Amino acid sequence: MEEQRLIDLEHITKQYDGVTVLSDINLYIRKKEFVTLLGPSGCGKTTTLRIIGGFEMADSGRVMFDGQDISALPPYKRRVNTVFQKYALFPHLNVQDNIAFGLKLKKMPKDEIARKVDYMLDLVNMKGYGKRSVDSLSGGQQQRIAIARSLVNEPEVLLLDEPLGALDLKLRKEMQLELKSMQQRLGITFLYVTHDQEEALTMSDTIVVMRGGHILQIGTPKSIYDEPKNAFVANFIGESNIFSGTMVRDELVHFCGTDFPCVDSGFGEDKPVDVVIRPEDILLVGEDVGQVTGTVKSVLFKGVHYEMMIDAGHSTWKVHSTTMQPEGSRVGLAVVPFNIHIMHPMQEESAQ
Amino acid sequence: MTDFQVPIWGYWLMGIGLAAFIVMLGMYIRKNRGFKRPLFASPYVLWLVIFTVIPCLLVAYFSFTDPAGNFTLDNFKNFWDSNFNARKAMDQEELNMYLSMGLTLEDLGLARNSINIDTLVFSLWMAFLCTAICLLLGYPAAHIMADRNFKLGPTLVILFIVPMWMNFLLRTIAMMSLLEDNGLINNVLEMVGIGRQKLLNNTAAVQLGMVYNFLPFMVFPIYNVLNKMDYKLSEAAMDLGCDHWHTFYKVTLPLSVPGVVSGITMVFMPAVTTFYISRLLGGGKISLFGDLIEAKFLSTSLQEWNVGSALSLIMMVLILLSLGLLRRVDPEGEGGGMV
Repeated sequence: MEEQRLIDLEHITKQYDGVTVLSDINLYIRKKEFVTLLGPSGCGKTTTLRIIGGFEMADSGRVMFDGQDISALPPYKRRVNTVFQKYALFPHLNVQDNIAFGLKLKKMPKDEIARKVDYMLDLVNMKGYGKRSVDSLSGGQQQRIAIARSLVNEPEVLLLDEPLGALDLKLRKEMQLELKSMQQRLGITFLYVTHDQEEALTMSDTIVVMRGGHILQIGTPKSIYDEPKNAFVANFIGESNIFSGTMVRDELVHFCGTDFPCVDSGFGEDKPVDVVIRPEDILLVGEDVGQVTGTVKSVLFKGVHYEMMIDAGHSTWKVHSTTMQPEGSRVGLAVVPFNIHIMHPMQEESAQ
Repeated sequence: MTDFQVPIWGYWLMGIGLAAFIVMLGMYIRKNRGFKRPLFASPYVLWLVIFTVIPCLLVAYFSFTDPAGNFTLDNFKNFWDSNFNARKAMDQEELNMYLSMGLTLEDLGLARNSINIDTLVFSLWMAFLCTAICLLLGYPAAHIMADRNFKLGPTLVILFIVPMWMNFLLRTIAMMSLLEDNGLINNVLEMVGIGRQKLLNNTAAVQLGMVYNFLPFMVFPIYNVLNKMDYKLSEAAMDLGCDHWHTFYKVTLPLSVPGVVSGITMVFMPAVTTFYISRLLGGGKISLFGDLIEAKFLSTSLQEWNVGSALSLIMMVLILLSLGLLRRVDPEGEGGGMV
């Protein structure tokens, strides 16, 4: 699929005042792909986006766009547009002048501008708001206008920097779906930055997990969720129990005082490993049949399921289950081999 | 001028003001059962009444009265023609006699003299020039200081503030010694072979002094607005296709208008009323409206006090009018630091 690559980051590094923010980032983005840069704050995801947008220059490395090196081009010469975190709408212009801003610079005929602005207002469900001042709009509405203002320029790539961060949960969910359907309808490449793993899982074709200026894992939402490469990714994408254990031999791991059969191999014998188990993959069984037994320390009702903290084998297990076990009761825990994920222990020096 | 006499009603007014103040104080204490925050403003209110409200009323009173305290518009007629009062004060029969002898008003030095209006117009012109120069110098300075990528910005801000800690009279006197015939600048000019120039006691020197003194008042309101402006806005403009010039012209400049308005106000107001700078750097040859008013109040003639009040009132009305106009442009006073 080499010919489909639209953006190619080659060995990008960036430092601020001697602190490395990005080290050797290599990443490509295909046409019409929805790519999400995901990571905690300070992981370098926004800096990566700003380097592609042209607001920052990389210290070394190249930004390739459609086969051409655009590393030195200023933002106004790049065929990408950005939706900023706090929208950055122009307060001295009304809604339609905000949207028309880029088109007016291109000296487009007036009637064509008006037609495109109307189309965009329609697309973001803001018909009839053209004459309103941007200050009179709610956060969600401002966000729609910011998206319209970028999309009207028909960019090849739309860069979105935590665009939904300032919205409340319900609105955020609505906008996630809207953005996704907009992207599919228009066939534009989206590069999305967020620290919200759920948002990333919902919207993306590809997720890039970053930490401390490094890319930890690139993959589809499903592959990242099911096969996290290390404990950090596992913990960041969804909730996880992470235990340190020992690989006894292929397909047998020892942790929490018990040997568990698993499906992983190739780690060697008696090697320290991280064991990752999703809370929903832990089965509550009778005390006598469990692989380990424990005491329920706390129960929280989470809507769809109960979240129970269970002390077992000198560790605390987080368990999600639709059936509730009362606090203080003794339970047995079991995990099917397929749901036990074995990982090389995190090298802490690579994390910041 | 003899000792200043407060008119009888002035005592009344002060008494009423004080009484009103005490009543308000009592009401506050009763209503809030104890001392509340607004109460702490009361010393300032009292100060304001004694040193601002009453003097303003007195200026208005003197403008519309003659030295005997009778109502008259003569002071304003004197603004139009500075010899009006002198002509009126002269014995009319004597005047007629001189005129019948073939002497003209010009010969007697009593013809219409427009010096007051001319000085006002000249003052306005000087203040306008000063504001324009301050804007041209100050905007770029503020823009550079507010630039995120310019590391020396904060240092520059301090460099602008430090001279303001010195009394402006001292600064003006220092400027005088710089510009004088044997001053530093002339010495340097002599050394490089250009030769000594007449730098002091002319309009340019006065203008230089005004710009030097008032420039910070232009820079800081603009700097404030630019500094508070979200830099993402200029990034957004660049993102949408603006080069640096268009970004400035289409986004930064329109959004800094409140600061510019504030700066214009803060430079124009003191510039139009200034009087000491012209005295020191103009060598007494250049008279601004402020100098004129000052001269009236220092004059020994009783009537002049009233004329000076009228001139002050005219000045105040002009300033209020222009303030009102500017407020329309910047209703929220976003530029900050309005006078």
